[in-house]
Amino acid sequence: MADGNVLAAPAPAPAAVAPARPGALRRLARRRSTLAFVLTVPLLTVIGGLVVWPFFYAIYLSMLNKRMTRFVGLDNFAFLLSRETFQLVIMQSVIFAVGAVVAKALIGFILAHVLHALPAKGQRKWRGMLLVPWVIPPAISTLAWWWLFDPSYSAINWMLMGIGAPPVAWLGEPGWARFAVILVNVWYGAPFFMIMYLAALKSVPDQLYEAAAIDGATGWQKLRYVTVPMMKNIIAITVLFSLIVTFANFDIVRILTNGGPQDRTHIFGTYAFQVGIQSGDIPLGAAVSLFMFPVLALLAVFVLRDVTRRSREMAG
Amino acid sequence: MAAIGGTTRREVLRAGVAGAAAAALAAPAVHGQAAGGRLTVGFWDHWVPTGNDAMRQIVNEWAQRNRVDVQLEFITSVGNKLLLTIAAEAQARRGHDILAFSTWLIHDHHRLLEPVDDVMGRLIGAYGPVNPASEYLAKVEGRWHGIPATSGSQYKGSAARIDLMKQHAGIDVQAMYPAETRLGPGADQWNWETFLRAADACNKAGFPFALPAGTFSDATDWIGALFRCYGAEMVDARGNITIRNNDKLRQALEYSVRLFQHIPNEMFAADDATNNRALIAGRSALIFNPPSAWAVAKRDAPQVAEQTWHFPSPKGPAGHFVPHLPFFWGIWSFAQNKPAAKALLEHLSQRDQVAKMVAASDGYDIPPFATLTDLDTWATVGPPRGTVFNYPVKPHHNAEPNIAYAPAPPEIAVQMYQQGIQAKMIARLVQNREPMDRVLAWAEREVEGFKRG
Amino acid sequence: MSVTAAAEATAAPAAPLYRKVGSIRRERRWALIGAYVALAVFVVFFLTPPFHMLMTSLKSSAEIADLSNNPWIVQSPTLENYWALLNHGSYPRHFLNSVIVTLSTVAITMVISLLAAFALARMRFWGSATLATGVFLTYLVPETLLFIPLFQTIGSLGLYNNLWAMVLLYPTITVPFCTWIMIGYFSSIPKELDEAALIDGANHFQMLWKIFIPVALPGILAATIFAFTVSWAQFLYPMVFLVSSEQMVLTVGIVSDLIRGDTFQWGMIMAGAIMAALPPLLIYAFLMDYYIAGLTAGATKG
Repeated sequence: MADGNVLAAPAPAPAAVAPARPGALRRLARRRSTLAFVLTVPLLTVIGGLVVWPFFYAIYLSMLNKRMTRFVGLDNFAFLLSRETFQLVIMQSVIFAVGAVVAKALIGFILAHVLHALPAKGQRKWRGMLLVPWVIPPAISTLAWWWLFDPSYSAINWMLMGIGAPPVAWLGEPGWARFAVILVNVWYGAPFFMIMYLAALKSVPDQLYEAAAIDGATGWQKLRYVTVPMMKNIIAITVLFSLIVTFANFDIVRILTNGGPQDRTHIFGTYAFQVGIQSGDIPLGAAVSLFMFPVLALLAVFVLRDVTRRSREMAG
Repeated sequence: MAAIGGTTRREVLRAGVAGAAAAALAAPAVHGQAAGGRLTVGFWDHWVPTGNDAMRQIVNEWAQRNRVDVQLEFITSVGNKLLLTIAAEAQARRGHDILAFSTWLIHDHHRLLEPVDDVMGRLIGAYGPVNPASEYLAKVEGRWHGIPATSGSQYKGSAARIDLMKQHAGIDVQAMYPAETRLGPGADQWNWETFLRAADACNKAGFPFALPAGTFSDATDWIGALFRCYGAEMVDARGNITIRNNDKLRQALEYSVRLFQHIPNEMFAADDATNNRALIAGRSALIFNPPSAWAVAKRDAPQVAEQTWHFPSPKGPAGHFVPHLPFFWGIWSFAQNKPAAKALLEHLSQRDQVAKMVAASDGYDIPPFATLTDLDTWATVGPPRGTVFNYPVKPHHNAEPNIAYAPAPPEIAVQMYQQGIQAKMIARLVQNREPMDRVLAWAEREVEGFKRG
Repeated sequence: MSVTAAAEATAAPAAPLYRKVGSIRRERRWALIGAYVALAVFVVFFLTPPFHMLMTSLKSSAEIADLSNNPWIVQSPTLENYWALLNHGSYPRHFLNSVIVTLSTVAITMVISLLAAFALARMRFWGSATLATGVFLTYLVPETLLFIPLFQTIGSLGLYNNLWAMVLLYPTITVPFCTWIMIGYFSSIPKELDEAALIDGANHFQMLWKIFIPVALPGILAATIFAFTVSWAQFLYPMVFLVSSEQMVLTVGIVSDLIRGDTFQWGMIMAGAIMAALPPLLIYAFLMDYYIAGLTAGATKG
């Protein structure tokens, strides 16, 4: 906050200033937009220089040939679409992202509700324990999971064998492997949903529930007609945020399966890496990474427009 | 730059280097001009810490003698760190002078790599030809763009349990490949059919061979060697796809299907450490691996290590090929100090330095020259003493080091390699029970896509 | 309890409603039991890997390799893994680097987000609405795509293999979310407050400093904690842009130092991970209430 201090220091103390005249107010308003722009300059610099500019450069890259010597337009994208493996990657990315986000949202919603119903004292303890997965750096917790899935040392299989069940080839069977990568993603991401929803729940005024109770609403009805409408914005934002981030996921799949068995767990991130960095075709890799952008961007614009409209309605 | 006693600092430097060069005649051409200055080096972070120590010591000695200010870093290949570093420096056109390059990266980046024909010419003159796999990977359009490195280069022959192989498969691996420069009884029969019978027997006894069939290099390397043993090329040296109507390819695939009846299903998702753990845990009778698994067993499970023996992988109808994964050293064309870089790399490739690296890594590191495979370390390391004697491919083995998918043009081969096409074909046949023709047609379409420039 | 209390108070005279109240009570009891069951199930699911990590971190490597033991229990606990990490190798250095990078990133993030959020929440200007949405859209561009073009940017700034490159890059991940939380929080502050301040002759910086920041403190804490967690856990950028051990941060350092080729030093990896999880864990333990309070006001109004 040191910067804040520096900024505030040279300003005259409010007490010393004479009561403002209307003219000053108008002048302030005019200067306001310039000032507002100035305040956003650091943001624009960081985002512009380190996200937007490289992003456009990446688009340019994705339109070059393998040796990066010739402009080929959309050839890379057309080529990708014609590849069986890539069609598989698209399907899997969708399964992975949608499956994981739905599971995270559901678990987060249930846990937030359950926590909200607890008395404040016990709540803190449970909340703390439930937040642990979100706190461990995922690159490392994924390693721990990977080891839990290891064929020889799997501690999970050890338990399964203890109850007489056959061991599971967690990362060896395509079906189980898909399940495993989604499971780890859900494990890591659900607490974030939980905490966001819990925050949203706490902001729903108690009077609304009281009113609903007087009207004789059942628990389900309260959920349906009070809680969900009040949480719509936060649900939309959290799901959108998580969907975007999950589509971009890289580490979990790379560490657990590296796309295998038989490419059945490859998602955009890992496939792009394999094509771009490991096989030395950077433009094609960039094309893979860019593939979901238009779809997600459209989705995001619609969701965010909705959210803005809704919050304006609420405020108004 | 002030003259001290009539000579400038530069002259002192030059004199020092000349003296050093004269003293170390093994390094034939440490040029005077190379002396002085800074040299930044990023070598592969060896999996044994002593490997790094030995390298640091060699480099420091050289640096002092030649008065070069060397900044040495060890970059791990874990998590593709080394790969990313190379990509970063290639894009940014700045970074280290020398970097370690794994398998295919010399080809990927050869436009940005300084040719080293002069150094290679002298080394080949002194030590004989480089093994064909290394030459295929480091020589681009007739010019050497990388120097095959000792540090990090490995074979992935058999690492088998002496007791289990004897008891369940009836093969005395120690007698077959004794720690002497001769082949023992049974070595002539060490082919893939024998191997399959052994795999069957050990699997029945509860010690299945841990042979990975995923997309990691351990899987790709041994399967590549197997296919080569059957002469099963998928793309020939001129870049023609040879998948359709290829009887040898069919034969290799049919053999693989039979073999994988005796391999645990989970090996289709194995990574480079799965096989190690299976051996160390005492659950497997044989893996294809360098002695790293044995070395860890020596620490954590000594009873397993004492029963582990290293020897070549089996041979096939088209020859005897042993999986090889070489490392290279390359000099960026934008390097600041190329002469010093060349001099250092040439120094590192001399017999004395190679011997030190091999000793420090307990025999794990492999020099690219067959004439240097007679070092003492491989005979003395144990227990059991001599376990890595046959780990490097030695002249009397009559075998050839192999990189998977050679001799296809490297820009196609690298994609087949990274995608693990052969392993995926096997997985489709075994796991999905797809018919052979469909699998071949699939592979052909995939490889067709890799041909695009 | 307020719901039942309120129901009781208002519904006292009518007999049928009494029955309703009873059913609400019963419903609540069952709901509470269900709640604890659900909590227990998820706590087990969430804490199983950390528990296994903790157990493994207390084992010697021989015990880890020994398959005859119960993998969930330590036979002969030892602190040798922790000891080795703290006394040899570069773990302490990496830890310090992580602290430096994370704290710097958090500070920079908060300055950037507060200024921008203040402007976007309170002062309309041309394109401000688009910008508020656009900031969020930066998450659409994945790091796995960005790092390739960034090689050149970072290289030309001379920051390749330099810790400070991380301080430059991490804010691209933290700033959008934090700005968004702060916009939400600032919007929830009544307009009358700043109008009063303006009439009192305060300028915009004074307004931000004297009114917005104190009032929005819970939101600021929530954003800070978010920025901290994300910066602390970053993996790809340090993996790509840092090479030397002296410059390395914790997440990558654990992986690159303790995995050697195909051999994993599991005991030390787990010990390293446990210690790496401690700072964020402590922060959440102490600041959780503020975090939730901050999100409550900020995020929900977004």
